[in-house]
Amino acid sequence: MDTGVSGGGDEKAEFDPSEITYVSYGGEHHLPLIMNLVDQELSEPYSIFTYRYFVYLWPQLSFLAFHKEKCVGTVVCKMGEHRSTYRGYIAMLVVVKPYRGKGIATELVSRSIRVMQESGCEEVTLEAEVTNKGALALYGRLGFIRAKRLFRYYLNGVDAFRLKLLFPQPYIHPSLLMEAHEDSIRRSSSDTIEVSH
Amino acid sequence: MAAAEASIFSGSGDNSVWTDVSPLLQAACNGLQDGELIHGDNFNLYAAMSALEIMDPKMDSGMIGRYYSVDEAIDGGAAPIPISFDRTVDVQCTIDIMDHLLACEATWHKGHSLAQTVFSCIYLLRPERTTSHALLHSYSSVIRATCKAVISVVSDARTHEEEDLFTMMYGLNLNGEDEKCLSILNAVEETISRQLRACRALSARRKVLEDIEPLQNNPMLEEGYCRAILARLRFRKHFYHVLMCLKRPQGRGLQLARKHVASCISELKAIRELSGQHTACGGQTISEDRTTASGRQPVGFDASLNARLSAPTPPRSIKILSWSEAIEYFLKLLQDLDIISSCSLENSLDCVLHFVVQFQKSQPDLVARAHLQRLLLQDGKLFGREAIFSVISKAATLPEVVKNHDIEKMECVIQLGQLVINLLRILCANSAWQRRKLGKILQDWRVTYIQLELALRSKFGEPSGTPSGENICMNILKQLLVWVEEKVYWIASRFLMLGFELELYSTSEYGMVYWYIYVVSVKLVEKLHHRISISNRGKRVKCRGKKKRVPGKDATRDIQFSPTVLFLQSHICLAEGLTMMLAALRNEKMILESPTPFNSDQERFFQHFELLQKAGIPDHNSYQSFEGSTKNASLSMLAMYNHFKDAQRIAKEVKSSFSDDPERLSELRRIEQVAEHNSVALSLLCRVGDALDSSLKLSFEFSHHPHFATAVVRRS
Repeated sequence: MDTGVSGGGDEKAEFDPSEITYVSYGGEHHLPLIMNLVDQELSEPYSIFTYRYFVYLWPQLSFLAFHKEKCVGTVVCKMGEHRSTYRGYIAMLVVVKPYRGKGIATELVSRSIRVMQESGCEEVTLEAEVTNKGALALYGRLGFIRAKRLFRYYLNGVDAFRLKLLFPQPYIHPSLLMEAHEDSIRRSSSDTIEVSH
Repeated sequence: MAAAEASIFSGSGDNSVWTDVSPLLQAACNGLQDGELIHGDNFNLYAAMSALEIMDPKMDSGMIGRYYSVDEAIDGGAAPIPISFDRTVDVQCTIDIMDHLLACEATWHKGHSLAQTVFSCIYLLRPERTTSHALLHSYSSVIRATCKAVISVVSDARTHEEEDLFTMMYGLNLNGEDEKCLSILNAVEETISRQLRACRALSARRKVLEDIEPLQNNPMLEEGYCRAILARLRFRKHFYHVLMCLKRPQGRGLQLARKHVASCISELKAIRELSGQHTACGGQTISEDRTTASGRQPVGFDASLNARLSAPTPPRSIKILSWSEAIEYFLKLLQDLDIISSCSLENSLDCVLHFVVQFQKSQPDLVARAHLQRLLLQDGKLFGREAIFSVISKAATLPEVVKNHDIEKMECVIQLGQLVINLLRILCANSAWQRRKLGKILQDWRVTYIQLELALRSKFGEPSGTPSGENICMNILKQLLVWVEEKVYWIASRFLMLGFELELYSTSEYGMVYWYIYVVSVKLVEKLHHRISISNRGKRVKCRGKKKRVPGKDATRDIQFSPTVLFLQSHICLAEGLTMMLAALRNEKMILESPTPFNSDQERFFQHFELLQKAGIPDHNSYQSFEGSTKNASLSMLAMYNHFKDAQRIAKEVKSSFSDDPERLSELRRIEQVAEHNSVALSLLCRVGDALDSSLKLSFEFSHHPHFATAVVRRS
């Protein structure tokens, strides 16, 4: 969906990173905080159903960052089966402008990713605008690749990248995958084939 | 809070009945606490995303807009006819409508809905109303016919999986008498030409031969307005002709299309030049966002009238392209259509593939791509002329006997034909979608390859003692196999290269990407060389009876490489050089990469090349072989064996073979530049060693070639 983490404003907040506290989604009182942040910072409009869909089904994957009493960042995610893999999905990641560039977004999203990994996800995906350099750099440092480009994905006509993070798997040699596939084609044949070139 | 929210599910089928749910909602609101939510199992992310909040202007398309219906807008005077009783103002306003429609049309082509762009024009929505206004009526008729023709080519081409918004018509009435639109347009054009002649004669104090009523009342403005309108009408006429010519079967209209394209371009340029002469604000600066040449707001448009048509997602207000952007868009479209019209219908499959790849380099938009696809594939034949099997036989240089041979009817050969058709279609798509599809079809090509191999095996298990007829069949299948393999590597190579154009690789991944490009290109060259030598051998056998063989001459020909092979060889050297250079810099800690917290290069390698590996491209290769071939790379080793020097030498040598191919020539020059720059950078890096972190900065740029990076060392 969307990420707002890059390009801090002129007014930088003065704070020490240790003053930031991170909490897991704790209930209905957190919902307005999340909605306000996303509405302020991201381009896509979401209905309240979209927020509730995420935070009610996967409260353990949503986190909020506070500086003193103020909510300065949030991450909203989901996970589930997708074409025979179990994958996590980062739906929204926001840090308010004055607090950007201090690692808050990285910490928020890393917490979600850890929970996903512990819950048995094989990979994590998300979409980001191709122009969102800050988000792309952040996810790149975490090990995401740009798997696909999605033509005019956003309502504003901008392309998106589908970013993917693959967790280390028990290793299967790719040629084995291939051989299994080819064996099914070759079933009728009795022996292996070598073609002269 | 709950009362303010509502979710709307579209009713389906004839069994659904509209009922008033207010009492139910009221009861639900009373029963629910603040923040509670009823969750049905079928309420998934899609349903959540499609839900809308009533009276939220970002989502509720019903709440915006001044009028409830087109008729109400017309009754309210939103689209008067005539536009003004002052004929000068009426002409000005008509020109503004023409200009805004052009901007709307370009916006539509660029990916917005027809309903919110071109058909935001109230005059178009009620065609019967404009009959009394010849000028407006002729222009609207041709716009309508043009939209219809463009939708038809795009839906025929089916290139629009991600661009399907384009062909949605939302029940808009596009039907008119298409053939008649040109005669109406011609009649109006004729009248205005006479008015122009008359006013010129008048200003030259010559006698006017006919008694002609002027276009409008102000003699000072008459010539300018006549010319402005004529250019606009003529542009529409020629553009419609272009579409009709390109529609003709088997590319028969291509030559004529080029003439009309040239006329369109000159009319567009005339429109742009004339625009300086009749701007409304004379001297005042006109906003760059303006959608008309004059800078005035056009009369008779309301995008919100059709907003309710644009389901399933609530429409957002869209920004119409500016008038000058629209002109630029059409100039580019016409240039692209000109390139398509210049395509030679005699081209071999390899030339066609090369043509499409070159064409895609300028990133043509949907309408141009759809036209190319329709030209290439008509009735399942190349250019609607040659059956695909015959195209494949030529491409694979199969012997003449193959005609009417049973091979053509083999299941896997029929499948191969389908794969070639699909490949051509995919190559005409936008590059993002193209790359994804190329990755997927590799698997299908691989399957067909294995099936051909099996067919060969089952038919000719024993190579010796078969009669000569079967020998020919075996040779044909073998030759076909070589060709299929070559194409598989060609597709794989295009898949990898497109990743650069789409910016899918980060700098830390370049090393593994170039390694893969290197491995795939080596295979591609191997198959290509093999195929060319088979076909040369075939040719030589034919000539043998006629000419005396010169001993030794054939032997040298065998080891000679064709220019195409050498061309690819220069790519191989660059890819290998870049792989090794990146590996050496990494091994010697001159590029610092911090490890990623959740995974390693191995996972990224698997992700990027999963589709290739699953299709066995190349056989049995994996991350371990990449690691193995790069772990010992060092700068001192590279200094001794400089791949870039080889690339430069080959590119220089092969240039003379491509003297009649300007595109390949210019690419060879770029390859030389990349090789030269990287060579210099490499020797600099060898000299400076550890100084790199402190005073010098290294980066990789695509300033010379879109796929091969140039190393740039800068003082920081």
